[in-house]
Amino acid sequence: MNSLLIGCTGRSRLPARAWLATLTALLALACAPSLAAQELADRWGPNAPASANGGRVDSLFWLITTMISVSFLIVLVMLIVPVLRDRARPGHKAHYDEGSSLHDKRFTAIVSVIVFLVLDASVLVMTMKDLREVVWNIPNVEKGAYQVEVLAQQWAWNFRVTGEDGKFGTPDDIVTINTLTLPMDRPAVFNVTSKDVIHSFFVPDMRVKRDANPGAINQVWFKPVVAGSYDILCAELCGYAHYQMHGTVNVLPAEAFKAWEKEAGALALTAYDSNDPEALWAWEWKE
Amino acid sequence: MSGDHIHAEPTGFLRKHVFSVDHKVIARQFMWFGLVWLLVGGIMAMMIRWQLAHPGSPVPLIGKLLYPRGDGSVPPDGYNTLFTMHGTIMIFLGLTPLLIGAFGNFCIPLMIGARDMIFPLLNMLSFWTVVLGGLVGFYSLFVPLGAAEGGWTAYPTLSSTIGTPGSGETLWAIAVFLIGASSIMGGINYITTIVRLRAPGMTWSKLPLTIWGMFFTAILNVLFLPVIGSAMILMVLDRSFGTSFYVPATLNQSGGGDPILYQHLFWIFGHPEVYILILPAWGIISDLLSFFARKPAFAYKVTVGAMGAVTVLSAVVYGHHMFTTGMTAMLGESFMLLTMIISVPGEILFFNWLHTLWRGNLRFTTPMLFSMGVIFVFGLGGLTGIYLATISTDIYLHDTYFVVGHFHLTMAASSLFGAFAATYFWFPKMFGKMMSEKLGKLHFWATIIPLTIVFCTMFISGYAGMPRRYYNHTDVDYLRSLQHLNVITSVAAFFLGGAQLIFAFNFIKSRWWGSKASVNPWEVGTLEWTIPSPPPHHNYDTIPTVVTGPHEYSHPALKDRDWISQSEQLPT
Amino acid sequence: MTPSLLRPAMALLLLAGLAGPLSACLQHQGSLSEDDHETVNPPVEQAVGLFARAPLHVPLVITEPAKLVSPGEDFVETLAAAHPERFRKDGEHWADATGEFTWDDDEEIYWQLVPADVLTRGRQDFVQFCSSCHGLEGDGYGRSAQHLRPPPRSFKQSSFKFTKVPSDKLPNDDALVTLVRHGLGGTPMYPWAVSEERLRDIVQYIKSLSPEEEGWRDAVNEIGAVVETGADPWEGKEAQGIAAGEIAYHRNQCYGCHPAYVTAAKLNEIRGVDKTTTYAADVTYPKLKKDSSYEVLGYKVAILAPDFTWQTLRYSGNPLEAYQTIAAGIGGAGMPTWKGAMPDEDLWAIAHYVRHLTDTYKDKPARAAFMAALRAAP
Repeated sequence: MNSLLIGCTGRSRLPARAWLATLTALLALACAPSLAAQELADRWGPNAPASANGGRVDSLFWLITTMISVSFLIVLVMLIVPVLRDRARPGHKAHYDEGSSLHDKRFTAIVSVIVFLVLDASVLVMTMKDLREVVWNIPNVEKGAYQVEVLAQQWAWNFRVTGEDGKFGTPDDIVTINTLTLPMDRPAVFNVTSKDVIHSFFVPDMRVKRDANPGAINQVWFKPVVAGSYDILCAELCGYAHYQMHGTVNVLPAEAFKAWEKEAGALALTAYDSNDPEALWAWEWKE
Repeated sequence: MSGDHIHAEPTGFLRKHVFSVDHKVIARQFMWFGLVWLLVGGIMAMMIRWQLAHPGSPVPLIGKLLYPRGDGSVPPDGYNTLFTMHGTIMIFLGLTPLLIGAFGNFCIPLMIGARDMIFPLLNMLSFWTVVLGGLVGFYSLFVPLGAAEGGWTAYPTLSSTIGTPGSGETLWAIAVFLIGASSIMGGINYITTIVRLRAPGMTWSKLPLTIWGMFFTAILNVLFLPVIGSAMILMVLDRSFGTSFYVPATLNQSGGGDPILYQHLFWIFGHPEVYILILPAWGIISDLLSFFARKPAFAYKVTVGAMGAVTVLSAVVYGHHMFTTGMTAMLGESFMLLTMIISVPGEILFFNWLHTLWRGNLRFTTPMLFSMGVIFVFGLGGLTGIYLATISTDIYLHDTYFVVGHFHLTMAASSLFGAFAATYFWFPKMFGKMMSEKLGKLHFWATIIPLTIVFCTMFISGYAGMPRRYYNHTDVDYLRSLQHLNVITSVAAFFLGGAQLIFAFNFIKSRWWGSKASVNPWEVGTLEWTIPSPPPHHNYDTIPTVVTGPHEYSHPALKDRDWISQSEQLPT
Repeated sequence: MTPSLLRPAMALLLLAGLAGPLSACLQHQGSLSEDDHETVNPPVEQAVGLFARAPLHVPLVITEPAKLVSPGEDFVETLAAAHPERFRKDGEHWADATGEFTWDDDEEIYWQLVPADVLTRGRQDFVQFCSSCHGLEGDGYGRSAQHLRPPPRSFKQSSFKFTKVPSDKLPNDDALVTLVRHGLGGTPMYPWAVSEERLRDIVQYIKSLSPEEEGWRDAVNEIGAVVETGADPWEGKEAQGIAAGEIAYHRNQCYGCHPAYVTAAKLNEIRGVDKTTTYAADVTYPKLKKDSSYEVLGYKVAILAPDFTWQTLRYSGNPLEAYQTIAAGIGGAGMPTWKGAMPDEDLWAIAHYVRHLTDTYKDKPARAAFMAALRAAP
């Protein structure tokens, strides 16, 4: 079995050269994951964030990755060293240690504090900053936020925007299914709800996600900074066509967006049917 | 109390093998029950992976049999059923009976020196209730519209009649309720047995860590399974009797409920459930690492304290499953902080395990390999939990494959490795036969390598933004580039699934044709290894008196051997 | 615990365990009888508005076979040729041993008797896949249909858009299956990944939703197939086709509903009318058609003829599909059956032209300049 595990022979102590080789190998091992991670991220990672604050998520992700890689490496070393060194063999005896001495307790306490400070507290501080500045800090309409009402359903995204007048519940409201057009460099605030089951409004390239709950309105926001078109996915199981429930966000530069809004508003007015009781849907916006 | 006097062994077949109140028979029943369901759940996992690797192409061998109305490929509704029932079966009918039902039942009386559980009849009822639950769950596969399709989390209103009008979801809720009732009965039994039936001298500080793990699990079972039970009753009322606890006013005329209420109830249970599954595994491997490192468990009391701390903390961190539902800033940040704190007892456990190995005399038996495997996979799974505890990264990673990879490593792979370690370790005592070590080691390596690939590739695809529970990812443009990653995951998953056949073969072969086990094949000191394998009906002819701790290995006072039984006095 | 306490507890638990599944199973003892309709289908006044009702005890079993108009004599002829053991000649017509197809001397058609088990299977898949939008009873008012424009099809109307079957006829099974398989662009009607077998059953069930003496239950109605396409005369010379299409499009006054895509001067030239003829200000905009037969819960829904440079086309992804849509017309929506009304060559040309408009301008920066130039011209 032992040969199966690592294939080493039964010498009681490894010579210094073997130690050096092991250490070098471990160092290489330490570098390999980060290199591999970079390689993998390039190959299979998400697209570069297209929102003003999406990069924060990525940097936090890589901060955590670095820290847990180091932690896991320590665990691996502490696992591999006894495997290499402390195999059962004739004449070898375990070191009797109950770990109940004051020294051990002190060691445990110190490691706990270090783990909490390094691993938890630093991440907490970073994420609290992000939360206060971005996630909870939803911009309001007076400051120029662009409003979007998102009404999810099995299995589509209905979007309603105000048109040029900036007011919901008027005939020039632009209603689209699965396609959303947003102005660039302007925060967009989404009021998200659902007609039937729970959906989740997920725009991977903007690094945002918010559940669409029936009977309640959730708010989420992001500020697109790169023009282009991005996928909207549903991230909460919503039935058979869950996987087909995807849409597109088109982000247009300010000028192009103005032109789009004018045209779409004009078409919305054309399509408005005053006899249709279902033609308008909108809800009160609360700040 | 049943420990005080010896009951005669029943002679009738039914009373002896079927409706037995003997904890060892019930343990074996739980074991077979759990293993059969693990097989069913495992086949479902293979079908899920097949669909993800080759969307819409016929499942080989069994496709046409299972889906006769089509070309044998998994249909979208069938796919939803598959992952729903895979989760439910693995958690409630596979791992819980195997880890808690089988080893809880087997180890608790034997390791604390008792003749049986304190409530043997309740013990039997606990098993037959989970059987009933399993039957109801199995039956739900055959009702019109098929079994539950709302995911194992079954969030309303998808799990309300609005999303799933078929009766499969109702039967699912009833099955979960029954299984929960079984766990509560088991939990009460375990707690009372551990508190009341310990042999003389078996003080709390001499309890094997396995028993501590079972004890904490039993506490969580008793406290939190009632929550899921009530959630399920409300769901059945909503579905079958037209109430609207979970159906909001916009979807109902009979008054407004709240789908988020269910999520709170579910995760109040659901998060402790993770620890319900992992605590026994932690306890078991804490013991096994010490047994096979021939060294005392490092900082026994600290380990117990850390497990206790996790037990307490598990009750107050559930909100991290709901960061995207729109909880308030204060609530979200509180849950985030509390969740982060779990890393401290977690880290203490890791250091105690690793210290137990450090400077030991390591015997690489199969149970030892699987115990070390738990350190590896739980290390991977536990550390990746930090991404999901952190709100801003969780918002991005929530409900992607990152989460799937994370919880499979923690609650599935770690618990399963704990269960495998326990099976290889206690099999001689349970069945009186040795399992093949050669096949066991092959099983270990054939499991851990593909397992690491399966779940680590999921982290990559999750970070790329691939949502879970998608029937076909190639439907979305930017996920199409991840398809070859999905194929890699699936191929590794098939190897992982195939490796379990080695275990099945080893288990069945050893059960009937294995070599006979001696009283103490592993040379360990806990009480169950002082009596014949398998133990007689009444376990102990005379209840032993415990004088030594469970982990006195390589004690300097021991001369000719490196272990001592708990009922033996250490030489001075 | 004393046995005296345990036994009643056990009994109670077992009872509870048994009562639950039983009650759940009872949900499916229902059938689609009139009584059930009362409970399943809320009255119209209640259903309009911001709520739908959470369904309870959804009936899933159909006990009565449905007597529907068969897809036609040719269909039975082909079937009989394929299954000589099942069909025998009875006079001039075929007699079916299974009783599925029967000849009606009075109406001079074959009736199709769709077995109850086919309908039950169709019903169950319909509830799973279709009911969230089309409603549990196929009336187009599912809980996800609120605010949805275009509204989901009510199958009680027995009329369909985009089946590619001439709009005076009912579509045959193949046309309906193709439609569900393809989906409709720009709507939540996705391409459904449901197996052929199941789809056929769903289609039978949908046909059986026709009210008495209407749709497939009315002997007068003929079943049609997808329009004949023939060869594309413009294949290999698409540019000429597009140019010809532009002329045909405007000469045949498509701009009456759809936008015109040329200036007024060009339009006069194409039509060969007086150069001073002027057009309404909205000639380059699509027009809202309020006279459609598209009904939802008793009120008519207006339909907007698409602007090919702006809207997503439902089922015209290539010139062939565009040709089929134009040739067959769109039932109930103002778009007549054009096949026969103009030469096939022109139809193909228009199909190429329409696709050209979509491919060149939809969601492209070029559109703004193109349309602005049209509208700026006098």
